[in-house]
Amino acid sequence: MKGVNQSTTLLKEREDFIYCKDGCQTDTFRCDAESVSGAVSQRACVYCGARVVLNPITDAFHIVHGPIGCASYTWDIRGSLTSGEELYRNSFSTDLGEQDVIFGGEKKLTAAIDEVASLYAPKVIFVYATCIVGVIGDDVKAVCKMAEQKHGIRVIPVMSPGFAGHKSVGYKMACNAIMELIGTEKREKTNRINILGDFNLAGEMWIIKDYLNQIGIDVAAQITGDASCEQLMEAGSAALNIVQCAGSMTYLAKRMEEEMGIPYVKVSFFGIEDTTHSLLRIAQALGNEEALKKAEMLCEIEKNKLQDFLNKYRKNLKGKKAAIYVGGGFKAISLIKQFNEIGIDTVVVGTQTGKKDDYEIISQLVNPGTVVLDDANPAELETFMKQKEADILVGGVKERPLAYKLGIAFCDHNHERKHPLAGFIGVKNFIKEINLSMNSPVWDYIRRESL
Amino acid sequence: MNKHLVNLTTNPCKMCMPMGVITAFYGINKCMSILHGSQGCSTYIRRHMATHYNEPVDIASSSLTEHGTVYGGEKNLIAGIENLIKLYNPEVIGVATTCLAETIGEDISHIIKNFYEKHPESTVKLIPVPSGGYMGTQYEGFFRALYGIVTHIEMDQEPNGKVNIITGQLSPADTRYLKALLSAFEIDYILLPDLSDNLDGGHFEKYSRLPKGGTPLQDISKMAGAKATIELSTFTDESYSPGKYLNEKFGVSYIRLDLPVGLRSMDALVKALSKVSGKPVPNTIKEERARYLDAMIDSHKYNAEGRAVVFGEPDFVYAVTRLCSENGIMPVVAATGTKCKGLKETLKKDIQDVADRLFIIEHITFDEADFEMIESYALRYRANLMIGSSDGRRIEEKHGIPLIRCAFPVHDRIGGQRIRMLGYEGGLLLLDTITNVLLMHKEGGFRKELYFKYYKGKNKEQNLKIGEPSPKDSSKIRELSLIIKLPVVREEEKELTLEDKKKTHPCFSCSSAHKYARIHLPIAPKCNISCNYCVRKFDCPNESRPGVTTQVLEPKEALERYIQVKKDVPNLTVVGIAGPGDALANFEKTKETLVLIKAYDKNVTFCLSTNGLMLPLYASELLDLGVSHVTVTINAVDPKIGAEIYKEVRYLGTTYRGEQAAAVLLSNQLAGLKYLADRGLVCKVNIVTLKGINDHHIEEVVKKVKALGASITNIMQMIPVKGSVFENIPLVSHKEIMALREKCGIHLEQMYHCKQCRADAIGLLDKDISMHYAVPEDKKEAELSPKGKTAIRFAVASKSGMLIDEHFGHAKTFYIYEYKDGKSVYIENRDVDKYCRGAEDCEEEQDKIEKIFKTIQDCQGVLAVRIGSSPEKKLIDKGISVFKTYDRIEKAVQEAAQKLL
Repeated sequence: MKGVNQSTTLLKEREDFIYCKDGCQTDTFRCDAESVSGAVSQRACVYCGARVVLNPITDAFHIVHGPIGCASYTWDIRGSLTSGEELYRNSFSTDLGEQDVIFGGEKKLTAAIDEVASLYAPKVIFVYATCIVGVIGDDVKAVCKMAEQKHGIRVIPVMSPGFAGHKSVGYKMACNAIMELIGTEKREKTNRINILGDFNLAGEMWIIKDYLNQIGIDVAAQITGDASCEQLMEAGSAALNIVQCAGSMTYLAKRMEEEMGIPYVKVSFFGIEDTTHSLLRIAQALGNEEALKKAEMLCEIEKNKLQDFLNKYRKNLKGKKAAIYVGGGFKAISLIKQFNEIGIDTVVVGTQTGKKDDYEIISQLVNPGTVVLDDANPAELETFMKQKEADILVGGVKERPLAYKLGIAFCDHNHERKHPLAGFIGVKNFIKEINLSMNSPVWDYIRRESL
Repeated sequence: MNKHLVNLTTNPCKMCMPMGVITAFYGINKCMSILHGSQGCSTYIRRHMATHYNEPVDIASSSLTEHGTVYGGEKNLIAGIENLIKLYNPEVIGVATTCLAETIGEDISHIIKNFYEKHPESTVKLIPVPSGGYMGTQYEGFFRALYGIVTHIEMDQEPNGKVNIITGQLSPADTRYLKALLSAFEIDYILLPDLSDNLDGGHFEKYSRLPKGGTPLQDISKMAGAKATIELSTFTDESYSPGKYLNEKFGVSYIRLDLPVGLRSMDALVKALSKVSGKPVPNTIKEERARYLDAMIDSHKYNAEGRAVVFGEPDFVYAVTRLCSENGIMPVVAATGTKCKGLKETLKKDIQDVADRLFIIEHITFDEADFEMIESYALRYRANLMIGSSDGRRIEEKHGIPLIRCAFPVHDRIGGQRIRMLGYEGGLLLLDTITNVLLMHKEGGFRKELYFKYYKGKNKEQNLKIGEPSPKDSSKIRELSLIIKLPVVREEEKELTLEDKKKTHPCFSCSSAHKYARIHLPIAPKCNISCNYCVRKFDCPNESRPGVTTQVLEPKEALERYIQVKKDVPNLTVVGIAGPGDALANFEKTKETLVLIKAYDKNVTFCLSTNGLMLPLYASELLDLGVSHVTVTINAVDPKIGAEIYKEVRYLGTTYRGEQAAAVLLSNQLAGLKYLADRGLVCKVNIVTLKGINDHHIEEVVKKVKALGASITNIMQMIPVKGSVFENIPLVSHKEIMALREKCGIHLEQMYHCKQCRADAIGLLDKDISMHYAVPEDKKEAELSPKGKTAIRFAVASKSGMLIDEHFGHAKTFYIYEYKDGKSVYIENRDVDKYCRGAEDCEEEQDKIEKIFKTIQDCQGVLAVRIGSSPEKKLIDKGISVFKTYDRIEKAVQEAAQKLL
């Protein structure tokens, strides 16, 4: 930990994961490592990572092989919307009990798949292997393979024992499962694109697709927001992959580039700047002059439409200080830029699964004095938000009560959101949310002299 | 999901054991918990609890890894406990296992022993609770933790006259109620656990990371000396009942009571408290009870219509089902996800009693339930209300069965920590909620329901349609209206009144006709309908009428013309798109033009005229573009008459003729007009008067468009055009037009000063100066061709290919860009390795930086997110400029080029 005022108990093992931007090199900064035990990490597990990536596939059966907890805590908790089937909103579990732990759960799993296959004729079944199934000796891969042969449907194992790393490993496992589903078979090329790493939270996939549609670009596969199996199979025909949530899907994009020859660009649809750049970039990457022209126009229109709005809100927001603690690096980067746009200074920024590159960019974007942390815990968030006098925290559900207890406003930038934060419309929603929380009268009243 | 899956639990109605353990530990003073297992378990539990209680929930994890799973996690767990102590300084730590730790056979008691050996000075009390997720649900976990606490604490057996109160998972608000009740009896109690504060804390100036409420260990150690234990749980297994343990080990007398919800269970508790305290029941409690009785009577008739599904933990289901049954609400489904053999038998009498009174045959009670089963029975037994956690929300959403959220977890409503159901008062609050749900349904729907059921008169269908325009082909209109996007909230724009907008538009206000100029930009050549009075192929500078232009402009040229004219004619306020075809049949061009002009001149007024065919599709975009005036030409509101005016209508790929064509056009015109007028646009309707065809129908048109919100109509003469179908029809005289306008003026404002302008008209209405601005073709060519300039070449270090996000020295590929004529253009990718491989001078030992220099030696500039100081110097020595930035490539290249130029 460099340049950070150590006013509170911070764990020694955590020091390398925190630094304060002061212009000096940060070569010893660490990230993307195992969480420190007992540090109250905000991270989830491998299974969680895998499940969140695959779950938006609307017509897939998601069977969690393990005891009940994993399926219970991930049942339909995210805001991925569907225009088709609702199957993905169910959570299926083999609900292993003590007997199964002793005698193994393969039989139960086989019976479950048989039953699903015979009753529902599903297109694909994902079987998530959770913490204990490897330990009790279940060969999930073999069970899935046999089931595929028996039923002639895709039964894809997702190897996601919680202890095998953190969320990022789960993303990778999900990407492998998607590759397994779509295969690398050559397909006739079209000039369509695949959208990777958007999960259609609050309809964001639809918003992005609409922009693309307006500039004359068609989408082959949505991976995985509002995806169907049939549509995913179109992925091979795309000319380009665009990667929104880089943390979860860059791995898949790389595999698709290597094995299917589909190049990719990273994009982000958070904020005017990123949305504009992304649309232009996509058109450029496709070499589509007409789309480029349309994109320029679309962005110009949308940007102009937002000017009055931004000017109005800037008055309320300028000079305020923000703290950011989110899952991935790309989101943190986009948020810093959005805050910069509106005149808010980011004073604390951290991520659960950011990579070294992400932190390098974050460093470029923030002002000296900003505290940067990887895999932060509540104690650190508390300390630095207080120290840096943050006015608002952007984060997930778990961070919200902490912010409130500290008397700090909060913006929900999580997977449960009910309003879109992506695209030009997302800029409005985001800024409105920032304003309505930060400028709520409650903060004045809670600071009234007590009785 | 109708088919039941035998081998799968579909949508669990239970959580895992560690969830219950953690919750129970939250009722202990200065206590933290750590879960021995992988990181996800604690995160999921934290997320669940944080949304329900709206409190920070910090739970540590030993963050078991692959290594720990294979070789044992002792090191992780001990390190975790050490860190937890450093961060929170607790007095008690609950150490709970998870599936993983149990399966790999972790002996946490042993690990705890080793911890104390390592830290003999430590005063922290570590309490182990084996709680594999597969060993039971959160319900069992909760009591396992309580059992773990009483069995691991050194007890003080000295008799102290206190009363032990042991509860399951109560809400903090219910816990506070319970404490008040005990105080009312002046009972000196020890409450295990006490969730009242830690999971519903107040807001204070200073935040304490370690929750300060809960029952202190010193109090718990006195439980062995208490005079009695009251355990509020119906189904807790005796093998881990703290009450039973205290009784067997220390001889503390113990009774089990149900959760005090509803009359009978609360009566039982009150009697027990009276007995154990030796005090009569306080009057306040008696009054509370009386109010509950009164409420039971007040709502009994409404309640009799209730058919409830109750789901959740066994004790909750038992308590709430009994509250329902004593109020005559039929519990058609009572279900718990936990294994609980006794539930059905214990509830049987209660449920059967209501069923018999109301002649209800079908109902069910079952354990090990999942929501697939609950859903299917709820539908089969026609439930009209559900009581349980927010996990029932999917059924509520899907089938519209209202859900009363009064059990953990509540994710989609606020106030989970303040749920009340305990005691007469809590029971009454819950009962009122239930009754009100039933009443809401009844009061909200009885009018419609009875109308549908019993009204047999005519026009039943029609009475349901309200306010919709109903032309002949009404089915079509509704279908097409659907295309219109939902209104956009446009709060940020200050609202100009209709009058304001009209005032500065020469066509809409007679007085401004001589003050303000307008320009028609002829950018829209195509049309999508063929009118019998129109031919657009002629251009005659001396002829002035709609549909005529000297030349068609591209949007950019249109902007240039606007800029030019604005200079010459400062009173130019209005830009109109009036063809020569239809503005919306060329929507892309129209849009581009408007965007360009708006960017140049913010205060411009946009006006647009159209036949209205594409209005439903583009109406909302027109709003967004800032169009404030729209003119729609509507010559008839009857498809039969329209059929005589329109030769054909080309809509969404289909060509319509005759009446069908007129109907399609009309329905779109009307829907679009209404949409725009509703949103405050100034809508003018042009009506071309055609003798013998629509001249008797004009008044109809005016009335109709007025009803839809048009603010002015312009009844015009037809100008006969050579070659058109109507070339030879007799003309309506000026006098007749004036008469028509006067007649229709009763209904709506009329336009008397229309000049029927050209599509490229410029200036005041009566002074067209457009001919000054026509550009000769050859000149145009010359101006458009770019002048040759030299290019500047840049090497860009980028990983994503979109942003400059790569370190110079790490780049494997460089993106080569050229800046030319004010534009940055992508040239190629150069792979550092590949680029050098073929070259003779690329020796193996040559370092990477040298390779990079070779790769980019023809460039004048380098852009990278970072670069080492030595390569930077080398580059500069070679005359290559270095730009360190994090930005989009094109933008950065442009900025860099500006600096170089």
